[in-house]
Amino acid sequence: MINSENCAQKTDEELVALTLQNQDFFSCLVERYEPKLMRYVRRISAATREDAEDLLQEIFVKVYRNLNDFDQSLKFSSWIYRIAHNQVISSWRKTKSRPPVLKFEADEDFLKFIAADEDLARDIERRFTAEEVRRIINQLDEKYREVLVLKFLEGKDYREISDILRRPLGTVATLINRAKKQFAKIVEEKEIKF
Amino acid sequence: MGDLGNKILERIKEEKIEPRPRWQFLLKDYFVWSAFGISLLVGALAFCVMLSIILDNDWDIYRYLEISPFEHFLISLPYLWILLLFLFLAIAYYNYRHTKKGYCCKTFTILALSIFGSLILGTFFHSLGLGGKIDRTLSRNFPVYQKIHCCCHRQDIWSQPEKGLLGGRITGIKSISNFDLEDFNGLAWQIEKDEGAFLRGPVLVEIGEEVRLIGKKKSERVFRAFEIRPWWNREEE
Repeated sequence: MINSENCAQKTDEELVALTLQNQDFFSCLVERYEPKLMRYVRRISAATREDAEDLLQEIFVKVYRNLNDFDQSLKFSSWIYRIAHNQVISSWRKTKSRPPVLKFEADEDFLKFIAADEDLARDIERRFTAEEVRRIINQLDEKYREVLVLKFLEGKDYREISDILRRPLGTVATLINRAKKQFAKIVEEKEIKF
Repeated sequence: MGDLGNKILERIKEEKIEPRPRWQFLLKDYFVWSAFGISLLVGALAFCVMLSIILDNDWDIYRYLEISPFEHFLISLPYLWILLLFLFLAIAYYNYRHTKKGYCCKTFTILALSIFGSLILGTFFHSLGLGGKIDRTLSRNFPVYQKIHCCCHRQDIWSQPEKGLLGGRITGIKSISNFDLEDFNGLAWQIEKDEGAFLRGPVLVEIGEEVRLIGKKKSERVFRAFEIRPWWNREEE
């Protein structure tokens, strides 16, 4: 019987190897990543909790099916986030529509980023509420939104974002810089009144 | 573990979902890498044929064609092979991008390495004479090839005796300075070799040889040759 004690001390990579020998160890990976991926999926899609749970099921089933494809040179978290990201996009394609407005939860971390970021602080000398940030972020291009979510909400570094989105490191850095610039531009050009 | 986690595990058990075997992923990787390698190889072959055609071209005959050197350059380029080279470079790029780590490199880096690889390999193939062999094989077996591989059909260029250009196969030797030729339209010609006729390249005036002649049309089926060239660059045969 697998319980939390069995899992807690094991690394993701060890759990993958154990799962391939004993299916029950997969529960450890699910337990470890379910809350993170639920938050991530809801951040990048307009899914309700129920829809997000369905998506998450598909994601974990896909993870399980493809365990033998896990490349040890990657972090497991990057690999599973990549599958989650691709599954969300795939579900958009199946419904042939992207959510018109994303449910973006601008939490404390993101607000701190806005306040602390030197580029933005120079151009926009003000503080933002969560609602303001949400409205601005929803106006960003999708490619900028997804890197901002990974960087400032999921706490991923550039290498991890590169592995998740399968883009060169330089491109990731460029996208983050441009995301910040577009953020500032939207605030200035649209003269958002809050 | 929460409800969702339990649901996931139940589903895996009920549907008897199993991890795909590793060999399937390895096979896919090998396939993608092989496709990349083959694309580079074909690109290299396209380049080597291009090189062969360009180097074997008669760049100096623009005077006889009454066109500018630039116009002659444009109609002589092997567009089919240039297109094939770019096509297979694009396919190589696509395949590399789909390898496991293919996303790490910048587009410029992948393209530059692919182009460099094809050019180096293509030059090596050309040094082995592959370019000429491929060009000749295609010309002999696929008549349409000569018409499409560049803007000018080589046989058409050398079927203009009024402009001093005549090509064909030697069908008879009358004397040291007279031989018979059948041109590419099947017409029989008497060829008079001028006293100071220049034999450019490793040309053999023998029955069965295909040659290119620069000279002057004397009468309806008589041609005076000032220069004789082999139809194919003999060094490549």
